[in-house]
Amino acid sequence: MADKIKLFVNEVEVEVEAGKNLIDAIGAVGIEIPHLCYHPALGADGNCRMCLVGIKDGRPPLVPACKTRAMEGMKVLLDAEHIKKIQHDVMEFELINHPIDCPVCDQAGECKLQDYYMSYDQQGSRMTVPQVTKGKKLDFGSGVIHDQERCVVCGRCVRFCRQITKTGELGAINRSDDTRINIFPGRPLNNRYALNVVDLCPVGAMTSSDFRFKQRVWFLKKAPDICHGCAKGCNITIDHNRQKYEDDIIYRFRPLFNEQVNGYFMCDEGRLSYKQENNGRLTEARTSNNPRSINEILAASTKEIERAEKIVIALSPNCSLEQMVTVKALSDKLGATLTGYSEGYIKQGDGDDYLIQDDKSANRAGLHLLKIDNSLNTFENAMQEADLLLNFNNELTLSFEKRELSRLLNDTKVIAVTSHDTPLTAMADMAIPVASYSEYAGSVVNSDNILQSFGKAITKNIDLDDISIIAAKLGSPLQTPAERFAALQQIISALNEFEPDKIPAEGLNLNNSEAANVTA
Amino acid sequence: MGAKVKIIERKGSSLIERLYLIEIAKGMATTFGHLFRNLKDNRNLYVRHYPEVQPEIPARWRGRHRLTTHEDGTAKCVACFMCQTNCPAKCIMIEAGERVDGKAEKMPVKFHIDLLECIYCGYCVEACPLDAIRMDTGIFSVTDNNRESFLLGLEELLATPGACSEEEYKKGGA
Repeated sequence: MADKIKLFVNEVEVEVEAGKNLIDAIGAVGIEIPHLCYHPALGADGNCRMCLVGIKDGRPPLVPACKTRAMEGMKVLLDAEHIKKIQHDVMEFELINHPIDCPVCDQAGECKLQDYYMSYDQQGSRMTVPQVTKGKKLDFGSGVIHDQERCVVCGRCVRFCRQITKTGELGAINRSDDTRINIFPGRPLNNRYALNVVDLCPVGAMTSSDFRFKQRVWFLKKAPDICHGCAKGCNITIDHNRQKYEDDIIYRFRPLFNEQVNGYFMCDEGRLSYKQENNGRLTEARTSNNPRSINEILAASTKEIERAEKIVIALSPNCSLEQMVTVKALSDKLGATLTGYSEGYIKQGDGDDYLIQDDKSANRAGLHLLKIDNSLNTFENAMQEADLLLNFNNELTLSFEKRELSRLLNDTKVIAVTSHDTPLTAMADMAIPVASYSEYAGSVVNSDNILQSFGKAITKNIDLDDISIIAAKLGSPLQTPAERFAALQQIISALNEFEPDKIPAEGLNLNNSEAANVTA
Repeated sequence: MGAKVKIIERKGSSLIERLYLIEIAKGMATTFGHLFRNLKDNRNLYVRHYPEVQPEIPARWRGRHRLTTHEDGTAKCVACFMCQTNCPAKCIMIEAGERVDGKAEKMPVKFHIDLLECIYCGYCVEACPLDAIRMDTGIFSVTDNNRESFLLGLEELLATPGACSEEEYKKGGA
């Protein structure tokens, strides 16, 4: 824990963390200082002047909170008359040339200008001269649409491109009320994190072309989750909504702050991976393209499993730990060969040194933790003799050429337990639909060995079982969530001190505790 | 002190009243009196000869909805969803899209009002920042044989004209 210091806010004593600026320090105890340009990931810029606060008996008596470190005994004034006047005046300045097109602006509802207007301004415009008009609906590339009139020139987007992605595509040109954010001619935003400027923008100047006009934000329900786009496991907020007469649909992913995993940001690819949760899903059970009820297929599968002599069970590296341990128990009971072979999920050289990883699966570290074999040799040898492949969502067509896969699956029955209607599902003799990651709760271990758990975010109209329940129905000894968690606790000692559902939100770093466990 | 108490004398206890038939005859006399008077001349009847005579609908009447248009016929609606957000009956279903007529940036691609669910409260009209939705069509009775036709679409809403002049509507307090 960091050192604590005591200071006064509006004459009331509060205890805050030392070494932070006033916005962060006082914000952590629930007192908000309005600010537009400051963002903890981008540092203080001090250009918006919205965070000016008074320091009683201080020199100078008026300071920008973003650039001022919290000090012992400081007497911060937030609701003094002269501070209120400053906030009010700054808001009036910001709104002089604002087009107030909130009805068509996607930011409406999560817009700092709207919030601060209601909290600090609440007055009509006094301007009588025509507003300065600027460019609207400019395509900045990478799915970012810019509206220069709505912009308050806080420079967060400019600083993001300079400091975080280090690509520097954006700049502020001209001066005073003619200042505008722009790209260099012919050089649009071209980095894999570009859509973060949409989140960063405190107003509606940066909007996403993908989300454009899809939903008003106040309709969206928010649920925390973990992105399954790559092995980084970025924390996300799933914004979803069930419209009248329709299904629960995800409209966007937004990064959720987690200091030890992804910070404040996420990559564009992961952000847009929400589409895979909505589309291309398998929703009905079937045997070679004839729809059947799930129970029928489950009964038929159970028979196949009893009849089969050599079973291979393939497991997706995207499965949660709970699912893996349940399938592993099933495999042990049946005496089957369990494999997590999934070379095709790794895109060599695709990752970078920031967030994006080569490995496009969410829980490969979990496979290693549970000591599930994922070598090509084991898989191929086992498939030679096998007469039944029970595939839990492992998209083998990524790892094998189609012809090679057909040769491997030749004279093998395939039961695919799958969330998506993929090429492999089409090749399967029987297909059982299951929930995808936004629809179940579980935990995954990321590439830095941090275990993170996530809850069920989406409830579809047809609420499918997840893999662990299907595995339990197929005869796995681990029938209940409590049994699964207990089995995990035996393997991962770090979980021992936690109850299920009580794993800390910031994740559990297994690096320290697991070292002893692995060697033992 | 407590409320004023007025004691009503109970009637029907005198002998003539208890004979019953006399009172019946008195009542019948009143009834037949009305009957014959109205048979002779029905102009003073307190009923409207609906549907031959339609009621007068004031400009403030909340009738069936319509979407207003600019002078060139393009919809004023920019699909801000204020009406849908405000609707207590959740009967408005909008889908927004990119504007193609150059008026603003956004327009409704679909705009459905389910009249079977609508409670005609007028909150949508109140919420609209652009005066794009009104309930001034004067249509107070919507009838049909099937449920589907009660789901109004964008074209229908745009095609219906207002029943009163702009001045009258404004006078109505809008």
